[in-house]
Amino acid sequence: MTVNTAKPAPLKEKSFAQRLLSDFQKHKYKYLLILPIIIYLILFCYKPMYGLVIAFKNYRPTRGIWDSKWVGFMWFETFFKDPYFWRLLRNTFTISGLTILFGFPAPILLALLLNEVHNNKFKRTVQTITYMPYFISLVVTCSLIKIYTMENGLFPAIMSIFGMQRQNLLANPSYFYTIYILSDIWQGIGWNSIIYLAALSGIDQEQYEAAKIDGANRFQQVLHITLPGLLPTITILFILRMGNILNVGYEKILLLYNPSTYEVADVLSTYTYRMGLENQQYSLSTAVGLFNTMVNVVFLLITNYISNKTTESGLF
Amino acid sequence: MKKLLSLALALCLVLAAVPGFAAELLSAGDTYPLNSDKTVTWYVQENMGPHEKFVNWTESPFHTGLNANLGVNVEWKFPTTGTTPAVYTNTLMADPRTLPNIMTGYFMDQANLLLEDEVIWDLTPYIQEYAPAYYAFLQTNPAYDKALKTDDGKYYAFGFFREDGGWNDTYLGPVVRKDWLDECNLEVPTTISEFENVIRVFNEKYGAKFSFAMSLFQFNGLAGAFGAYGTSNAGWSWFVKDGKVGLGQVQPEFRNYLKWLNMLWDEGLMDQDVLTLDDTSIKGKVHNDQVGISVTSMGQMNNWNNERIAKGQEAVWVGIPYPKADDGSLSSVMGGFGIGSYTGVITKTADEETMKLCLQMLDYAYTQEGFLYFNYGTEGTSWTMGENGVPQFTELVTADTDTEPMRKYNGMTYGGTGIQATNLLYLKNAPAAIEANNTWFYNFEDEQQNLAVTGGWRWPVGVTFTVDEMDMINIYGGSIGTYVTESFTAFLTGTMDIEDDATWEKYLKDAETYNLSKILSIRQACYDRYLAR
Repeated sequence: MTVNTAKPAPLKEKSFAQRLLSDFQKHKYKYLLILPIIIYLILFCYKPMYGLVIAFKNYRPTRGIWDSKWVGFMWFETFFKDPYFWRLLRNTFTISGLTILFGFPAPILLALLLNEVHNNKFKRTVQTITYMPYFISLVVTCSLIKIYTMENGLFPAIMSIFGMQRQNLLANPSYFYTIYILSDIWQGIGWNSIIYLAALSGIDQEQYEAAKIDGANRFQQVLHITLPGLLPTITILFILRMGNILNVGYEKILLLYNPSTYEVADVLSTYTYRMGLENQQYSLSTAVGLFNTMVNVVFLLITNYISNKTTESGLF
Repeated sequence: MKKLLSLALALCLVLAAVPGFAAELLSAGDTYPLNSDKTVTWYVQENMGPHEKFVNWTESPFHTGLNANLGVNVEWKFPTTGTTPAVYTNTLMADPRTLPNIMTGYFMDQANLLLEDEVIWDLTPYIQEYAPAYYAFLQTNPAYDKALKTDDGKYYAFGFFREDGGWNDTYLGPVVRKDWLDECNLEVPTTISEFENVIRVFNEKYGAKFSFAMSLFQFNGLAGAFGAYGTSNAGWSWFVKDGKVGLGQVQPEFRNYLKWLNMLWDEGLMDQDVLTLDDTSIKGKVHNDQVGISVTSMGQMNNWNNERIAKGQEAVWVGIPYPKADDGSLSSVMGGFGIGSYTGVITKTADEETMKLCLQMLDYAYTQEGFLYFNYGTEGTSWTMGENGVPQFTELVTADTDTEPMRKYNGMTYGGTGIQATNLLYLKNAPAAIEANNTWFYNFEDEQQNLAVTGGWRWPVGVTFTVDEMDMINIYGGSIGTYVTESFTAFLTGTMDIEDDATWEKYLKDAETYNLSKILSIRQACYDRYLAR
């Protein structure tokens, strides 16, 4: 009689494929639902990544991506050596930074203020009016801005009442950021506040009652209940925004700038547009775009890290 | 008296050119319709598109009529509304395998690249046989033939030509309000000092300023009065003088021009809005008596007058000569030799048979019959032959109140692959606008001297860079345009002091960081090859 001395085999851990299969069988329909998104991501986000190699090639459309000549980092060098490189970088960070500094808190403030309004009719009217600019085409917005800022336009007229010299505001580099940021806030404040208003409605009303009993006034309630309640939403939106730090909308700048404000308004995206689509330098503009993305990723990671450390909430 | 004489002379010159010389010179070409069962795709970047009133080309008499005349099923393609046409073309070019068979756009600069990469057909072996009318037309003028070939003698494109040989290339220039001029007892200014005086008097009396849409001023402005070339558009500042290529904006004469402009700006004589004004927004100023003297195009001046008439006012805007220097010299005005850089090419998506068909199709515009069709539309419908043997539009066009109604029936109102009849320009524009074009174009009685000032100084149309040169320009030349344009505004507004020698020296030195010399030498080599053609 032989004794089986071998130990019983340990319960084999299921492989990834097996787990996926059983998970799939359990949640078929959820997988079906997510399928379009996966296809979208593959087609529009992952497949085009292959095209990035043209940043390292002297791309000629006829030769195709693969048969164009390799040039290594030549286009990056060309870009870094461009006399405008530092200016583009500086302007991009400035415009983006200012937009975050002033444009990011604006909808939060609006949402907080709207939340304190108890007259429903008034609240809705304000909401509707603040949404509206979001639906105006950018081209129209910008031509309005141009007309209002002409020498004899509305804003210089108002400024002249306060003793300032009448001038074309868009021709003066020192006003460019103000015009850009203010119009940005005007256009986006209502729309961007929606998500905060939604988050606000999710805060437990009992907390306010408890706070009232403890004698907290309205401001203290906002500070200790509303804001902490909004914080996760704010954090996530902020991290996402930081991941876009170098993405400044080029359409608006293209519509608003002119040679006298290039000094402060020319940014990476307008440069890419000029080089890629106007001068047909596909490789150079891809290199700039790639550089742009790398910086964005770094900022996203840094912000996420800081956020994880300090507020314990982050994207990943 | 002398002025009157020169004006009369000028008029005679123009009128002499009018009665369809091109139509007489043109040969008959192939027999049309070609009766082909092939479908050909034809992309048009701009100018030859359907009139705005039509939803698409199937409603456009010109395009459907051309299909019928050619006897080919043409599928027309145009940039999507709202896109910048040139940018749209570039996006198409990014994928050469899907290009339309015929492409009309600006391809001269890249001709060699497109030929080498086999994006377009080298037409040399086929042109004589399949485009006889066009080939014959090119041989009538050595300048035409030279411009439409590459350095090694390859034909690759169908060009745009003005029958007038350059008269309408000077389609913009200074204009003034005649009623104010009369009220102030001022003569039509002919020198830059007189011009400045008019600005001052109008400013004093009416509070008006010297104003213009930058998009029109940027080409050459009033640089000629200072012996300079070009204004804020770098593309227009590559000039040629005594066989040497130069950049207008770094010349000492250009500095004098800038000093004058900056003086106007500083003294409040120039509108501070010029940097942001366009053809539409300037109208507010024009119709509110805020401008009395300006620089604009024939078409815009026409609009200003017509809008006044529509309001029950008199037409007061007239063209005045480009001001000369006080010693009577003039270096340059906006102009050319009647050859456009707008071309039609046949891409490799057409197989050899289709390519031959495309050649025959493109050739049509250069035949007698096609010349008339491209300029006036269908005889008996949109035009009839007048008693003097000059085509006249019928009521279908003349009674139509839409803007430029002839564009519904013809393709040459602005330009395209063909020859623009001078008579068409006469029919299209009001007499005041024609008169204005005369004053802008005829600067000197001596024909050679006049040609030198209008087209002779310009970087010629049809110059082709080699593939290597194109690469070099891509790597080194990307930012010089931005640099000079930006500096122009800085000097104009006084951000950079034009009077200060050190600032100017630094400006010149900085131009080198943007590889000015390198680009100039590339362009010089390219120009020399062009001369040697």
